[in-house]
Amino acid sequence: MTLHFTPVWFIAVPLLLAFLSPLWVRLRLLMPILLGAHVALFALALSWIPTVRVAPLLETIVIAPPLGIHLHLDAVSLLLVALFNLAGALVASFIWLSNRESHPFNAAQDRLFDSAQDRLRGRPAFILILLLIAGSSGMVLTGDLFNLYVFLEIAGVSAYALTALRRDKSALEAGLKYLIIGSVAAIFFLFAIVLLYLQTGQLNMAALARDFAGIPAPMQALIGLLMLIGLGIKAELFPFNFWVPDIYRGSDPEITALFSGVLVKAFLFVLFHLVFLLLADPTVARTWLMALGATTMLVAEAVALRQQDLRRMLAYSSLGQVGLITLALGFASEATTAGALFHMVNHTLIKLLLFLLTALMLRRFLSVRLANLQGLGRAMPLAAGLFVLGALAVLGLPPLSGFASKLWILKGFAEARVFWPIALILLAALLEAGYYFRWIKVFYAPEPPVTAGQPEGDWAYAPLLLIAGLLILLGVAPFLLEDWFVQAAKALLGRGAILESVLGVQP
Amino acid sequence: MSRVPLRKRFRVQTLLLVLLCGWLLMLHLTILLNHGLDGLTTGVGDTLLARNSETASANAVTSVVVSYRGFDTLGEVTVLFLAATGVGLLFAGGLTPSPVPRDRDSHPNEVMVTGTRLLFPTLLMLGVYVVLHGHLSPGGGFQGGVIVATAFFLRMIADPAFTLDHARVDFYESLSGSGFVLFGMLGLVLVSTASFLGNFIPHPVEAMGQLVSAGVIPLIYLLVGIKVGAEVGAIFQDMLEPDPAPDHALAAREL
Repeated sequence: MTLHFTPVWFIAVPLLLAFLSPLWVRLRLLMPILLGAHVALFALALSWIPTVRVAPLLETIVIAPPLGIHLHLDAVSLLLVALFNLAGALVASFIWLSNRESHPFNAAQDRLFDSAQDRLRGRPAFILILLLIAGSSGMVLTGDLFNLYVFLEIAGVSAYALTALRRDKSALEAGLKYLIIGSVAAIFFLFAIVLLYLQTGQLNMAALARDFAGIPAPMQALIGLLMLIGLGIKAELFPFNFWVPDIYRGSDPEITALFSGVLVKAFLFVLFHLVFLLLADPTVARTWLMALGATTMLVAEAVALRQQDLRRMLAYSSLGQVGLITLALGFASEATTAGALFHMVNHTLIKLLLFLLTALMLRRFLSVRLANLQGLGRAMPLAAGLFVLGALAVLGLPPLSGFASKLWILKGFAEARVFWPIALILLAALLEAGYYFRWIKVFYAPEPPVTAGQPEGDWAYAPLLLIAGLLILLGVAPFLLEDWFVQAAKALLGRGAILESVLGVQP
Repeated sequence: MSRVPLRKRFRVQTLLLVLLCGWLLMLHLTILLNHGLDGLTTGVGDTLLARNSETASANAVTSVVVSYRGFDTLGEVTVLFLAATGVGLLFAGGLTPSPVPRDRDSHPNEVMVTGTRLLFPTLLMLGVYVVLHGHLSPGGGFQGGVIVATAFFLRMIADPAFTLDHARVDFYESLSGSGFVLFGMLGLVLVSTASFLGNFIPHPVEAMGQLVSAGVIPLIYLLVGIKVGAEVGAIFQDMLEPDPAPDHALAAREL
């Protein structure tokens, strides 16, 4: 008997812990387990960096590819799995550490907020958060197209239920909307898989990549279109992202942090992984994907200017960043891809910070509309300060990490002598500055704040300060991870290497 | 509703959208149905069929579902588990301003009661049979589990006093689910298979077609059956259960 450390653990361990949840309820261990699992898996991912640097790790399940399912751990999937588990750990620690005591005044309101807190610490939320992260990790790791669909469903169903977790009017509406839209997207993707299987008789992604060129051109276009619609809805790209702000507005900010930080990143990865794998020459789709990214970015940033609710504003800001990442990944050069992956990490950290701050503000002010947050800087000085830090990181001001990643992307475009994306990215940053400073100005307005909720304990700020520290660290010393991002970009673009490692043939 | 004239009940855009979707579906079906008439190409399916004897499962579909693509099955079981969790989350505590509780005082009619009394043991036995013979005949854990859950659902309708104990259902569900994962991990740590969900119990081909054959496949299918039965049963129960204290304020408030 040997103890294997394999990528299967990233999926099997959360599943086992979720199935055993009645036991954890009885032992009162839900929150420690939720935090511990993500910390342990994050540490496991970090411990693999030296191994994966040498060669990607292939974990066969039951029967060797291309017949069976396998998990493919290379630099880029390791990067994302580590990121997802870090995000899970941060959100879990925030939920665990945030205020438990009730406020003596305003009993009715208090009861509502207590129940909101308890719900996030309850068994359903435990299961759903754990499996949301596990499903996202699975999507990134798997090397089989149908298995990808299964993980897409796991992450999706967890997300639908999490959206409705608060069970008030807006949360239920958002949950229903997400359920319908998400299922439609999944069906589009499933149709594409069915067609691919009928055409090639394969489900393994590497084998599909080998055989894809043999499919008749109109069928290729149809499959591509179905996939683009399905994944475009899930990854929140422009014509398909009309639903996003409602979902982000309706669900708890702690949950929204996970949607924006983890789920979207997983779907973006899947979209580009498939594009780079199936198309022998990814520049075929370059113009289309870059146009999608650019329109997503500009439309979202422009709409964000007018938002009156902090959660909606952050939702549009998140869409804008997703557009930026799509623009950079779509160009498919090594420098922009590495920069885009770096920006993915940054954006996850920034949006976790901002959405968790929103959760604190919501508890204190019972509303996060612009008009009600006057003078927030006096009631919650630390929260306002962290918000400014997060906003500056989104804008990409030195010495924060957003600067390093945006600079990398811009440099990548400049080296390739393509200048229109640079102009658009700078324009988007200008728009971002416009709306973030609009909110910051209100926070520091010289008016007495009108607080209704309870003040938050200091411990809730611990994970937020950790994120802020990471943002500064990555901004001051981006060279710490630079090598890893370059490796990850090579792995994502390296179609030949994947085909060779899975099928053992040169393409 | 009846006072609204017919032309106002349907919106033209919705109707056109439905027609468009129907047309797209027809188009899709034309592509699908025309395919494979001239014999399938050499796909993964054929290769797996040819290699079926190595699992010693008489039902080739089962060897694909539980062994070769057992990882997908674990995922599908998880999706069902998540759906059951979601339904439990949403239905517990009541949402609608006017909940329609299960009326404990109204008695179901005689046909229902007698029919269920007759059907319940038969259905239960059929369900157990389908689960246990998953590796021999069509059927298996998913199908059998749903049949068992249906039997209990009939009991719930026919007998207002009958309820499933939530704690016990949770226990079975948790036991079978973690059992599935543990089986998978056992396959991983044992040297003989060294693969997640590997078939580590001896499964000689000579035994093919007997009840005890195919190694771990029937055991995993049994766990799947228990889990699916418990989950679907829990969903039925959550939907039928009267709401202890409907919280109208909760549903109406907006944050």
